[in-house]
Amino acid sequence: MAKRNKLEIIRDILTIVRDNRSVKPTPLLRKSNLSSSRFKGYYSDLLEKGFVRETLGGNKQISLTKKGQKYLEKYSIIISFIDEFEL
Amino acid sequence: MMPTTGHSISGAIGQGFGRMMNLGISAEIIYSFVIIVCSLMIFFGTKEFYRLSNHKGIKYFRRAFLFFALAYFFRSFIKIILFYFEAAELRTILPIFGSVTLFIFMYFGSMAIFYLLFSVMYKKWNNKLRVYIFHAVSLIMATLVIIYRNPTTYLLINSLLFIFVSSTVYNYSRLKKKSSNLFVIYFLLFIFWIFNILDVLIPNIFKTFQLLIYLTSLGIFMTILYKVIRKTG
Repeated sequence: MAKRNKLEIIRDILTIVRDNRSVKPTPLLRKSNLSSSRFKGYYSDLLEKGFVRETLGGNKQISLTKKGQKYLEKYSIIISFIDEFEL
Repeated sequence: MMPTTGHSISGAIGQGFGRMMNLGISAEIIYSFVIIVCSLMIFFGTKEFYRLSNHKGIKYFRRAFLFFALAYFFRSFIKIILFYFEAAELRTILPIFGSVTLFIFMYFGSMAIFYLLFSVMYKKWNNKLRVYIFHAVSLIMATLVIIYRNPTTYLLINSLLFIFVSSTVYNYSRLKKKSSNLFVIYFLLFIFWIFNILDVLIPNIFKTFQLLIYLTSLGIFMTILYKVIRKTG
């Protein structure tokens, strides 16, 4: 499997969250196919950027925000823009 | 000696304003305005892509066009003053102000080119220090233009800039092993930006070809804007 770049990893994590509506951190780590340390880095980055939010209760659940939804919608356009201008 | 009256001053201002309104300066203003608008549309049009992705390439690409907009603003400013006072060189009429404006114009212009180059090359160079080196080189180039006031130095400085940028783009496109229209567009953008610099620094250098240079520069910026708008919507 080809090595994923940063934008692809973010897309994959957000897609998992979207497809599951809300997901607990451990299943998300498992499905994202990342090491624990890399996952932590990406996860805190996604929280900081406001792509996902944590719903605190008995169990911590992760769900997608509007901004995260927008990223998924625009992902393919952003990639084609990057390719077009060789960025 | 004739005393300077309010009437003669207002007459001189009126004459200057009249001169500004002829076709030459009108074309100059329209040319700069269109390029500034194109550059700012590219800068603001790609804002959301950068906000969502935090992609370094997009960051440097946007900065390049912000710097182009600023450089063209100062370029048109210089041209309007030159035209208004019917002067060949800005520093002969406004020594300190002229030098500062030329310095800012040269710095923004060189940095715009370096940022555009960096937006393509940052993965290969992978070194943030290089951005600071480009800032330093741009500052040195702007300083040299202020210190050495002769066309040979201007030509030499801009030739060095052109050789560096074009050889980097050429080598990179050869490494990529695929032909790309983008590199042709960037290559033309670099050449015509340097023509724009020389047009300001050396009076009447492109008198016959000025319209051609303006039209080609507009065409290049509009092509890039079209490519951006096609993606950003």
